[in-house]
Amino acid sequence: MKAKSFFEAWNAFFFAEQSPIPVALFRVIFGVMVLATLLLLRADWMAWYGPHAWVSLRTMQAIEPGTRLNVFAFISQSDFWVRALFWIFLGSAASLTVGLLTRVNCLIVFVCLTSMDQRNLFILHGGDTFLRVAGFFLIFAPAGAALSVDRLIRIGRGKEEVEIRPRNPWAQRMIQLELALVYFVGFCWKVAGTPWVQGTALQSIIQLDELQRFPLPSWMLRPTMLKLGTWFTLALEFSLGVLIWIRELRYYLLAMGLFFHLSLEYLMNIPMFQWDVLSAYVLFIDAGDMERVWKRVRERVGGYFGERVTVIYDGGSERLRRIANLLGAIDIFGRLSFVDSRDAGAQGGARVKAARNELVAETSSGARHGSDALQTVASVVPLLWPVYVGLGIQRLFKPAASVKAS
Amino acid sequence: MGKSAEGGASRRGKNARKAEAAKEANTLAPGGRASGEKELARGQFFGLKKWQYVAINGFLIFHILAICCWCLPFGSPFIAACRGALRPYFLWSGLFQSWDMFSPLPKATNAYMEALVLYKDGSTTMWSFPRMEQLSLTDRYSKERYRKFVETVLVESSSPLWPDVARYVARMPEIRENRPQKIMLVVKWSDIVAHEDGTFTRAPWDEHVFYSYDVKPEDLQ
Repeated sequence: MKAKSFFEAWNAFFFAEQSPIPVALFRVIFGVMVLATLLLLRADWMAWYGPHAWVSLRTMQAIEPGTRLNVFAFISQSDFWVRALFWIFLGSAASLTVGLLTRVNCLIVFVCLTSMDQRNLFILHGGDTFLRVAGFFLIFAPAGAALSVDRLIRIGRGKEEVEIRPRNPWAQRMIQLELALVYFVGFCWKVAGTPWVQGTALQSIIQLDELQRFPLPSWMLRPTMLKLGTWFTLALEFSLGVLIWIRELRYYLLAMGLFFHLSLEYLMNIPMFQWDVLSAYVLFIDAGDMERVWKRVRERVGGYFGERVTVIYDGGSERLRRIANLLGAIDIFGRLSFVDSRDAGAQGGARVKAARNELVAETSSGARHGSDALQTVASVVPLLWPVYVGLGIQRLFKPAASVKAS
Repeated sequence: MGKSAEGGASRRGKNARKAEAAKEANTLAPGGRASGEKELARGQFFGLKKWQYVAINGFLIFHILAICCWCLPFGSPFIAACRGALRPYFLWSGLFQSWDMFSPLPKATNAYMEALVLYKDGSTTMWSFPRMEQLSLTDRYSKERYRKFVETVLVESSSPLWPDVARYVARMPEIRENRPQKIMLVVKWSDIVAHEDGTFTRAPWDEHVFYSYDVKPEDLQ
């Protein structure tokens, strides 16, 4: 490969702008994984990380010396402060999941995750390590550029339009590379072991009582099947590490990887590892394909949320335009259509006049204004259902709200 | 990737158009030269400033090489020297990692750990660490860390951990209140034996006290 074409390929891979939806979706799943990890550990926070834990901080530092990013080393060694740190971590992970102050929370989650791992290195599994390393690169990614509260705030402030702007994907690529490396390094280690090459590794592993979860059917326990299973593992780990970069093979490999990890989840007791690794699969899905799938889901499911509502707003009013943009971003099932009353001048009349002052929600049963309009809109947009309920409760105390027909 | 590349191409086209517009602006508006050049430079660096583009590339090259060097099981002296140089940064930043799950040799022993507690009144009790095979499905999810911990503790090189483990057992409310005097850590194991015909059997269970700790009054504080 000539140097010029290498640089072009490098730039296209790391810098050619693309939709941030895959990395935003990864952020959501990553946040859920961190929350699940923390909640599963909840009963043992003090046992593993407290001042009187199984391994004291001093012992940990003596066994694994060196300067490390570890907040536990800086806070007072008391139950209160350790618990406080965990609650901050939990709150931050929840905020990251919904995309509130995304960058800051991503940094806090990474620091807390690393600190937690550093505080007790003897209880970690591969899933913890993957979350930590992916969390490092996620700090640099445009993870809040889509599917986030941050984006809604930006739209509400008029700093962003409804259309999602493409971004440089270099940080997303690093997480993808990390995932591919997990498989490839796993493959390299395995081919160095005789049981893996000879095909006896799985037979040995299924004898470990502590790892067994659900039983396998007896025909799958035959030596020939287990041998094939061992070699399939090797072939799949190599493919997911190397061949995943070939676009035509990618979705087949991801499907096989999904099957592989779900099988392990059924068979083996290594909680969270499979889900932690699977979370990064979304980064390999093309944003265009995601949008196509979502469009189909929207077409099939959207109808269940009610009749389409036309929102009429005055495009000359900055405030109404922002609100319309915000509703457009929240309306993930496409139940709203928007009409700028200035464009709809031909239809003239009261509808246009009314829309100059406030949003109007129009359905087959007529036009509604003010809080009625908001309630109509909220009834068909699932993310606004809490608002719908809130307005319904408010109406109980303020009856006889006016309904104006157009 | 193909689509991304196409997206990138169209974006580059857009950038080129922007750059053209910027050039035009330079010729039309006095004092517009500097901003036009800036636009052109941004077009060349994918919407980034030149220093950002250079810094990100440096970051990417360093981390790709460093992570490969750290993880891949190559035994050359050069790679070992690189790992040594990278070690402080990797340990500090939390980028340390290893992906040798069940390899190169899968574990070939079923083992678990118990603590034999000797009280001042001469009585004894056996405290058992949570064993995954005896837990409910939900408990296995939340207590899996014990499996990993016991696996680590049972390795000879983890001996510095043993006093902490013994002290923790002594501090457990139901043990502390009965005034423990000595804690003995016991491993029970059964090897998985491979046969010529490709089958595996389990050897009988064996046990061994691998650590003994005399409880001090301050341990129970």
